[in-house]
Amino acid sequence: MSSKLSRRDFFKLGGLGVLTATGIAALNNKTTSAKHDHHSSLAIQTPMDHGDLPGTGDVDHEKNGFNPGEILTDFDYGTVSTLPNGQTLREYEIVAINKNIEVVPGIEFAAWTYNGRIPGPTIRATEGDRIRIRFVNGSSHPHSMHFHGFHSGEMDGVPGTGPGGMVHPGEEFIYEFDAEPFGLHLYHCHVFPLARHIAKGLYGAFIIDPKEGRPPVDTEMVMVMSGFDIDFDDGNDFYAVNAIPFYYQNHPIQIHVGETVRIYLVNILEFDFVNSFHLHANFFQYYPTGTSLIPSEFTDTIVQGQAQRGILEFSYKYPGMYMFHAHVTEFAELGWNGMFEVLP
Amino acid sequence: MTEQTPSTKNNGFTLRTFALFLLPIILLAGVIALFLNTGGGLNLESPVPIEELTVERYRLERDVFELQVRNTGPQELTIAQVIINDSIMPFEVTPDATLPRLGKAYITIKYSWTGGEAYAVRIFTSNSVPIDLEIPVAFVTPQPDSKTFWGFTLIGLYVGVIPIFLGIFWLPALRNLGKRWMLFLMAVTAGLLLFLGFDTIAEAFEQAAEVPGVFQGIGLIGIGVVSTFLILDAVSKRQAQTGRDEASKRLSLAFTIAIGIGIHNLGEGLAIGAAYSIGEISLGTFLVVGFIIQNITEGLGIIAPVLRDRPTLKALALMGLIGGAPAIIGAWIGGYAPSPTLAVLFLSIGAGAIFQVVYEIAKLIQRDTTKESMSGTVFSGVLVGMMMLWVTGLLIK
Repeated sequence: MSSKLSRRDFFKLGGLGVLTATGIAALNNKTTSAKHDHHSSLAIQTPMDHGDLPGTGDVDHEKNGFNPGEILTDFDYGTVSTLPNGQTLREYEIVAINKNIEVVPGIEFAAWTYNGRIPGPTIRATEGDRIRIRFVNGSSHPHSMHFHGFHSGEMDGVPGTGPGGMVHPGEEFIYEFDAEPFGLHLYHCHVFPLARHIAKGLYGAFIIDPKEGRPPVDTEMVMVMSGFDIDFDDGNDFYAVNAIPFYYQNHPIQIHVGETVRIYLVNILEFDFVNSFHLHANFFQYYPTGTSLIPSEFTDTIVQGQAQRGILEFSYKYPGMYMFHAHVTEFAELGWNGMFEVLP
Repeated sequence: MTEQTPSTKNNGFTLRTFALFLLPIILLAGVIALFLNTGGGLNLESPVPIEELTVERYRLERDVFELQVRNTGPQELTIAQVIINDSIMPFEVTPDATLPRLGKAYITIKYSWTGGEAYAVRIFTSNSVPIDLEIPVAFVTPQPDSKTFWGFTLIGLYVGVIPIFLGIFWLPALRNLGKRWMLFLMAVTAGLLLFLGFDTIAEAFEQAAEVPGVFQGIGLIGIGVVSTFLILDAVSKRQAQTGRDEASKRLSLAFTIAIGIGIHNLGEGLAIGAAYSIGEISLGTFLVVGFIIQNITEGLGIIAPVLRDRPTLKALALMGLIGGAPAIIGAWIGGYAPSPTLAVLFLSIGAGAIFQVVYEIAKLIQRDTTKESMSGTVFSGVLVGMMMLWVTGLLIK
């Protein structure tokens, strides 16, 4: 601490000062306009009035090509047809592309994406459906799609399991398997170095509904928890649900009193051991991995390790603004923070 | 840039030599123009952004952090995000978030900090380059008011003025010493100064590490040490030529020692003031006592050459002030406008001055010892001088 002084290597003798700290002088000698000329979106003010709370303004969603507000309720059922044996076939086309994503105002991250968005498309099917994914690698690195669920080894998307394990730039591969078991799953790239391939954006949610369906609710949402390591020190600099930090803090999710809500929550956060979800002023039924129709817990906070996921169901009794965030509070103040605006 | 107007009469300057002189400069301009236009065939585009942002100082007020930053990298950069203790905070940049090379800006962050706690501030540029600042102990930064002004003055008094005057007060006692003992004291002074000189150089190098790369701290040390040594040497040679008596020569040597120690104390005051203003140190009573004991030796060094003379009180007072008062000025500057660049400059000037003075003393000792061999006295004196600072240094390390 006293590195600036060699001959005078002072101890911190605590307190016995010759000087005493003085009062507060007003900060009046400067103009207070935050000028950012590169991006108009570098505004400090957020749509909500947060005072001096942690947070950032909005990124350029249009330039990013995706918007967490839309991803929240965007379920991709694929192109549906029926196979000769009567099985439902769902066909998807997913392209891996390099893309610069503005993760927080003023900072672009050289991301790797499925279909240009983070998280990738939320693939949704019913138990027993045939899923056929034409995966095209339009990027500059080899990638794959590794699904959690039942499938044969060559469909596992892991290097060493065949051509689907590592799809080289410009090449493509068709992953095909039956959707099972029902539950909430995920997919991600499994090419090495794995942590980088995931952290750079190659992941998405994979929902398999039970044959008989889940009990109906008024609103369904998908939330994929992740982070960005923008300076490549194997530690996340920003955290979020659905990629963009503070999005749902800046744009609260509107629901109504009594409205039943189901959230498909997936954790794909790299580098940190756990992630969590905490709902304010409320409790939810929790279905770990969504593989049972009977909830395992009635709680307001759950913890997920990487690739753990689960389904939350709740409704609000009273109108108002309610926060939801990682109760690993460090993540919350680095972006994983959102609001429900419960209308009467 | 290198415009010269040599006189024509004594070196046969002609239009031809002028043209020959200009030729390389014209060629240089051509080469630069070629490079600027074509890149000279080199791939000058850096594959990664090289960005460097130096937090020159920070100021804490209640609920506010203010950082003074300078772009010390090779190219323009934009401040994109500020994170305090793992919390993304809204901020304002004045005058602009985009800083040209060597441009300066102020970042203001509203943050309800707690006194006495540590804070880690991380600034991200738009190219995701993190710049980290550690605030080891948060407290309201002293503002230039009469109270803190007096506080820094006191620091300077304790560190510089008081100990030096205490050392000077030895004069009456030492005046009655024999010639050999006086020589011994001169050697002690040389030892003190050598120790101080090495220490100052080391401190300058340490400070140089904090200087933004673009300001070339190590280069500044070279400039400071060498130019000061040569200037003082020239001054003392000129004085020697004026043909005054030995006593006044010794007096002027004492003044030169005072100047050297004074500049050294200015550098030291800068470092102490700067460290104090950011809460890196607190001056406890024990520490102040340590300062006084160690720096008494500096006062002793000043009077050593004039022990056999009868310097006036006025001259003694002046020497004490020259040697000690700069510590006060240093503490003011360091306290209100800390700058490692300035500290490096003053420390190296101090070192240059000290080494020149050692050189002068060595000449004096040599003159006194030509008749008889006293190398044992000189050796033990120099060693004692160095050991004095080393031992008293144990008190404040």
